[in-house]
Amino acid sequence: MNKLAAITGFLGAAHNRYMVYQADRPLAAKLQLASCIPGCEGVEACYPSDFADVKELRRLLGEYGLGVAAVNFRSRRTGQWMRGSFTSERRQERQDVVDDLRRAMDCATELGCRRITTCPLNDGSDAPFETDFLRMYDFAAETLVAACAHRPDVTICIEYKKNDPRQRCFFGTVGEAASFCRYVGLTNLGVTLDIGHALYAEERPAQSLALLAKLKIPYYVHVNDNDGRWDWDMLPGTFHLWEFAEFFYALKKVGYDNDWYAFDVFPKEIDICQNFTAAFALTRKLEEITGRIDRATMEELMTERNPARTIQYLYSLL
Amino acid sequence: MKRWRKCANAGFFGQRRDRFTEYQPQRTLEEKFDLVAQVHQIQGIELKYPTDFKNPGVARDLLAKHQLTLAAVNVDIKDANHFRNGALSARDARARERAVGLIKESMDLAAELGIDLVTTCPLADGYDYPFQVDYRAAWANFIASVDTAAAYRTDVRLCLEYQPHEPHARIMLDTVGKALFVCSEVARPNLGINLDVGHSLAAHETPAEAAALLAAKGRLFYIHTNDNTGDGGDWDMMSGAVHFWHWLELLYTLDRLGYDGWFGADVSPKHMGPADAYKTNSLLLDRMGDWLEAIGADRIGELLRTGADPAAVYECLTGFMVSKPSRGGEE
Repeated sequence: MNKLAAITGFLGAAHNRYMVYQADRPLAAKLQLASCIPGCEGVEACYPSDFADVKELRRLLGEYGLGVAAVNFRSRRTGQWMRGSFTSERRQERQDVVDDLRRAMDCATELGCRRITTCPLNDGSDAPFETDFLRMYDFAAETLVAACAHRPDVTICIEYKKNDPRQRCFFGTVGEAASFCRYVGLTNLGVTLDIGHALYAEERPAQSLALLAKLKIPYYVHVNDNDGRWDWDMLPGTFHLWEFAEFFYALKKVGYDNDWYAFDVFPKEIDICQNFTAAFALTRKLEEITGRIDRATMEELMTERNPARTIQYLYSLL
Repeated sequence: MKRWRKCANAGFFGQRRDRFTEYQPQRTLEEKFDLVAQVHQIQGIELKYPTDFKNPGVARDLLAKHQLTLAAVNVDIKDANHFRNGALSARDARARERAVGLIKESMDLAAELGIDLVTTCPLADGYDYPFQVDYRAAWANFIASVDTAAAYRTDVRLCLEYQPHEPHARIMLDTVGKALFVCSEVARPNLGINLDVGHSLAAHETPAEAAALLAAKGRLFYIHTNDNTGDGGDWDMMSGAVHFWHWLELLYTLDRLGYDGWFGADVSPKHMGPADAYKTNSLLLDRMGDWLEAIGADRIGELLRTGADPAAVYECLTGFMVSKPSRGGEE
């Protein structure tokens, strides 16, 4: 069974362009909060904010009995790398991001974690003719290859996302992320499949997963839902019940069953602990529903490709 | 072709923030006015209530000093402390009273400063999940609140600005259709709509059609100019940067409708800075007006009136773009 982790970035301050919803809290309080969420077995720690003192972080994780699903390397930072990090036009900025990513990889191993996830949010463009895409691919390859070479025992997963804060992020879809991984051809470069990002990029998450599995690209899973219009980071299954079941069914088939689910669920005005508790409970419920699917029956139904029968079968399980 | 008076939105001249990043330094009201005044094409300014009116005397002095006209007072009814569960539509009567009270105060303030336009974007009134809101009660509250606010003083016009989503996954007042529904339910002549072009595009509307519908009912009070990619994101881009033809169509339509209000602007400064962003936004609006003049609005009108097909219309529209137009299939 996959373990459940809260992303520390969602355990403190929560704001968007209009509202501030939650106050920030120090790292110790975030981890304490995570430890109080029923079912929470770990966190995805955010770099650099959680890593001012790695020893202290390790101590706190031990104290609260929390594992580390991944280290989330923030490549978007206020006042830094504002025009992109991995794909910045400035050589020095590209060097800086590689150096810092290498430090994050070292920090991850100090916590016994072999996975970095990073969402290159500021790598992208707003307006037509803003950037030279060919050169961006060169820069992305240059920086990510250099970082991957630092520690082949640590996998870097690119979290693709269609947009926000850029009108178009550079890695917007599973196809773009997977193609880039193939282009670069490294075994320790993979993809973070954020279900919400896949959904609002109009993907079917189970298919996104199948593509990564077929290409033997390492992957890691972020769980959340949305209305298909935007990355609202909502509670899983509140909009896409059967898409989640289909995704969990596919996860079992490809053998992702002893790893982590990290959750980016945006609490807004809801109590953070209550929000994560609901997210975890709903995930287990969705897994339970998925578990009721008889493999042989479903495989036969999918061979038949007759939704009239398949959907009826699915509803018979509720 | 008519040209419209342009105003800046002071809120876009200070620090901006999205979910991930902060852009631009914090600026005082004085500094914001200094920057707005650098944009020579701009004659007015839209100020936010209550933020920009902590001291109304300062606002009045700055308007005079920079010879800027106050175009509209924008009332903020979305603060997370009081309106977490809605403002105009809230179940809690105190929240509704507070929201209506803020609108009334801003109407008084507008009148005091010699203008008759107040605008508000009811972003706290929305929801995220199915089964979160009792729609019947929420809409009844919304209509009653707007009615109370509009009735407060008939010498000030109240604009509602619709937006499809954000910060909620669904804003109640999300489309031109619902905006007109509210106007019709409230049925007060001083209630109208602020058509934010980017919001209309984000709601997958055709802005020219939205303008025509609003004008048909006498509800087109104000316009926020901007643009976006049409992916649903309210990116607050410079007008015409993406939807060039839609913008030309909107300008043409506004000219035909006789729209006589302000061209406000919600344009994100992001990395380029607010003065450059607003200057270019104004320039693009002017140039699109020039192009329409070069094409001839009457010519377009004639083509539309006679039911010309899109091929003929676009031949007419594109002819002005090059000094020696190609003759297409005839050559």
